Amino acid sequence: MSELGTWITALLTLAIYSFLYRDNPFYRAAEYLLIGLTVGYSLVISVKTVLWPGLIVPLVSGEVAKIIPLVLGGMMLIRLVPRLSSWSRIPLAVIVGAGAGVSIPAMLKARVLQQMGATISHALSLNGIIMLVGVIATILYFYFSREQKGLLQPIAKIGTYYMMVFFGATFGYTVMSRISLLIGRMEFLLGDWLHLVPR
Amino acid sequence: MKFDRRFIFILIVLAVMIPLLFPIDLPVAITDETRAVYDRINVLDSNSVILMSFDHEASSLPEVRPLAEAVLTHCFQRDVKTVGLALFAEGTAIGYDILNDVAARYGKMYGIDYVYLGYRPQYSAAILGMGESIRGVFPADYDDTPYDSIPLLSGVRNYDDIDLVISVADGSLPTYWVEYAQARYGQKIIAALAAVMVTAYTPYVDAGQIDGLLGGLKGAAEYEKLLGQPAAATRRMDAQSLAHLSIAVLIVIGNIIAFAVRRGKRITEEGRS
Repeated sequence: MSELGTWITALLTLAIYSFLYRDNPFYRAAEYLLIGLTVGYSLVISVKTVLWPGLIVPLVSGEVAKIIPLVLGGMMLIRLVPRLSSWSRIPLAVIVGAGAGVSIPAMLKARVLQQMGATISHALSLNGIIMLVGVIATILYFYFSREQKGLLQPIAKIGTYYMMVFFGATFGYTVMSRISLLIGRMEFLLGDWLHLVPR
Repeated sequence: MKFDRRFIFILIVLAVMIPLLFPIDLPVAITDETRAVYDRINVLDSNSVILMSFDHEASSLPEVRPLAEAVLTHCFQRDVKTVGLALFAEGTAIGYDILNDVAARYGKMYGIDYVYLGYRPQYSAAILGMGESIRGVFPADYDDTPYDSIPLLSGVRNYDDIDLVISVADGSLPTYWVEYAQARYGQKIIAALAAVMVTAYTPYVDAGQIDGLLGGLKGAAEYEKLLGQPAAATRRMDAQSLAHLSIAVLIVIGNIIAFAVRRGKRITEEGRS
């Protein structure tokens, strides 16, 4: 990174962190810049790597089949015209129909059946038993068709303990993740900008 | 009692800054999960092709870059052919940069030892499409070189020719790799994740749907240790550990104060009655 780039990055980092003291114009300017850059970058990448080679170039070279996605895409944008906005339901229906058709069997297999299979197949080991109890207790905690009384109550309670362990572990990993980001910024400020630590 | 939380921010900044300025080299213990990923890659050779997908945004770079660099270093050390791509627009240029950077350190040739295919939107369609034909999803690479002109890709048609997919992610993209590449095509997958996602993917590892999992800066530091090449993650682990210690101490102190205040209120109320 050039010296100018380093200075701009460092000043923007400080502007963002200034929010920790209180909200201020420097923070807001940096925030708006980030949002604008992100949208602009995503747009350019989409045009350069998707729209241009995948639609414009084939259309110009005579691939008539590409007219279908062009028309469907255009119908999506017609939403902006209130009188014709209902046309956008057609491409939306295509997206929802194709999306559901593709994703429902895949999700059912990967997120339900394979997970259930693994839970049952490990049930003979100690860890497997602990896991199986946790799965059943947690699922029963979310069983709302019957009041949680009698036998259901202690089982659901066990489910909450399992969930607390999960929340604790997730919180710990989240802290780890956020601190890693802070370390990255601090290392940049102390290393690339102030040259106080080696990079 | 009112406490200005900005003192906590200062404490955390100091806990991060001091070990960066004065390293103390705290030990890093290697976990079985990281060793499993290392062993999985260590059996690959110059006949192997991996597909590394940069499924992350720019905001998580301090965490995912060390992960990607550690794994790529291992792959290039073993002369494994590497195909890079991105399923998040924001990760596109970052992935290209990381891949070129690590490849240059090992004198790897673009198009022969590694290639970068760039970005495709609609990740589920892209992942499914590559199961049929990678060329169909990426007719050209990031630099617009036609797929058929790239020597590395001459024998790479679909997942049958990919030994391993490595998803470097900070979100839910590995789920789609599991659903569409693993469940449907039996593709082996490794997830190199930002720490915040680790608990979400541990069940997939236990179920054998993901072959291995590297988690956060700690995972990267462990990997660097296994490689015998301490780098960015190792350098940052002192700060990570001290920041965690500070937060744990703050949580304990906060709870002690909360109990003391609650007890004081109860005694006061009992005195009044």
